Amino acid sequence: MTALWSKLRGQPWIWSFIAMIAVWLATIAFTGGQGAGEILTAALSFATFTIIIGLGQMMVITTGPGNVDLSIPATITLAGVVATKVMDTDNARLLIGIVAALGASFVVGLFNYGLIRLLRIPPIIATLSSSFLILSTAISYGRGIRIKPPPMLADFATTRILGVPLLAIFVLLLSIGMALLLKRTLYGRTVLAIGQNPRAARLAGLNVDLTRFATYLLSALLAGVTGIVLSGFSGGAALNMGEGFLLASIAVVVIGGTSVAGGRANVPGIWGAALFIYLLDTMLNTFGASAGIRLIMTGVIIITVITIAGGDRQQR
Amino acid sequence: MKKTSLLVAGALAAITFALPASADTKDKKIALSNNYAGNSWRQSMLKSWDKVTKQAVADGIVAAADPFTTSENQVTEQAAQIQNLILQGYNAIVINAASPDALNGVVKQACDAGIIVVSFDGIVTEPCAWRIAVDFKKMGAVQLDYLSEKMKDGGNLLEIRGLAGVFVDDEIHKGIEEGVGKHTQFKIVGSVHGDWAQEVAQKAVAGILPSLPEVKGVVTQGGDGYGAAQAFKAAGRPTPLIIMGNRQDELAWWKEQKDANGYETMSVSIAPGVSTLAFWVAQMILDGKEVPKDLVVPFLQINQADLEKSLETTEKGGVANVEYSKADAEKVVAGK
Repeated sequence: MTALWSKLRGQPWIWSFIAMIAVWLATIAFTGGQGAGEILTAALSFATFTIIIGLGQMMVITTGPGNVDLSIPATITLAGVVATKVMDTDNARLLIGIVAALGASFVVGLFNYGLIRLLRIPPIIATLSSSFLILSTAISYGRGIRIKPPPMLADFATTRILGVPLLAIFVLLLSIGMALLLKRTLYGRTVLAIGQNPRAARLAGLNVDLTRFATYLLSALLAGVTGIVLSGFSGGAALNMGEGFLLASIAVVVIGGTSVAGGRANVPGIWGAALFIYLLDTMLNTFGASAGIRLIMTGVIIITVITIAGGDRQQR
Repeated sequence: MKKTSLLVAGALAAITFALPASADTKDKKIALSNNYAGNSWRQSMLKSWDKVTKQAVADGIVAAADPFTTSENQVTEQAAQIQNLILQGYNAIVINAASPDALNGVVKQACDAGIIVVSFDGIVTEPCAWRIAVDFKKMGAVQLDYLSEKMKDGGNLLEIRGLAGVFVDDEIHKGIEEGVGKHTQFKIVGSVHGDWAQEVAQKAVAGILPSLPEVKGVVTQGGDGYGAAQAFKAAGRPTPLIIMGNRQDELAWWKEQKDANGYETMSVSIAPGVSTLAFWVAQMILDGKEVPKDLVVPFLQINQADLEKSLETTEKGGVANVEYSKADAEKVVAGK
């Protein structure tokens, strides 16, 4: 038991899971055990979206200091608007809609990296300014019109099997794929190497530029996937559907034990962190805390979790 | 002879009708300073502005009526924008403000430069500006009045609030609390912030729902009713009476439920066309008319009987809307 624990506490992702379980227990203690399962189901449904974008953001952040994708919320909106508009509530047009939305996200990734590489704009500024362009495109293309998703997409996004959302199972497979990509492929290893030392990686003969390019593309595509499934889940795309995902995408990466300085990524931690953030909000809502207290508590608890998790890693 | 006099009378009538249109404001320029455009309400607001003011410019009532929107919904950005508008020589600035007091400095600058400032929806407190405010408190209170009529026995309510820390959210919330104080058979068992967005509301409601006892009604602030309905459906709970907020998707959902099982509710919000009221008020002030500094604009309530009609006239994805004509604006100014 102690051996298992000492092995577990060495894992950077364990803290986000401990925090998640603690928050969940506190919530059901407050309600007297009522709704314990339903709360977890709801958390799984909503956390999946944060997990998908978190995976993309994780890859970007892992490529080293200064790398971050701030255009994720705008890309979610654009993909959602394009998908629902092209599909036009018709199951037969599902595939064209998905291709169109992912195509738009692909262009976003291309554009982001173009700004970063060709114009040598720092990623923070490049992705932030491109997000204005992306959102404006979404506004002028969609004109704020909420079109319902085709029934097949809505069903896919909302179906549950024994209380577990179908989407969560797909995202689990996606996460396993990402973990393998990171650990077992040349691309993944290169991402980690660049994050640890871009100069050394370049001198070792790795293709740094191509890898970074692929990473920004990947992040944009994952944001696009989120936009598509989110519009299916919530009954259509809206101009502000990406709101709230900017901080969340970075927070789940950091709380999940991925190094902000780059070079160290952690996939399981993103699950723990995304569930933790959702359950934290649920807990404070259940307690009936006022908005001010909620914001303070959210800040304090997140800082505490990061401090405990980070402090332990330095000891190692 | 008789024919001529008729003609003359007709011509005179035409002149009297044309007169107010080409009054003193035909070479005046009006600007709209808007702090946010990222939701369907604001998009409708800008569209209404466009429609009404373009016609007014074409009719020669004013020389220009240009809308300007800041990209980041920030006070500093809007302050800089208003400073630019002052320098560009607009005669009047119509503002939907990011903050009720943080823009007061720049609003005062505009007033000192002889510019008429009219704020609406997001109003400013600077005394030199005009305010077209909505009685948000009442908007909260009428929801409880409606519920008490529908459910004599009362029950548990879930409250969905707006964006934390915003004046409008506080006011509607106060109205709802007052309503609960008046109709004591109701009890608010849970409260979440939905940020006036369907997705946020859906997420927050889904989170708190498992911990709540049976919910009879949901009081809202607009833009959150459809999301709440989705969350109840996903949780497999019976749909309570959800007050809607005039969004097209909310009205469409209501219609669906009504056709399926006779669902009854009501919907209340502010018409985005209030921007056009602000335009006419600015025009009237420029024209030298006496306009009180504080105006109250009625909110738009849709009842069961008007549902079909409202849904028909509401653009897909938009918000139920009323655009103001000059005559409507004069009525509001006269306090009718």
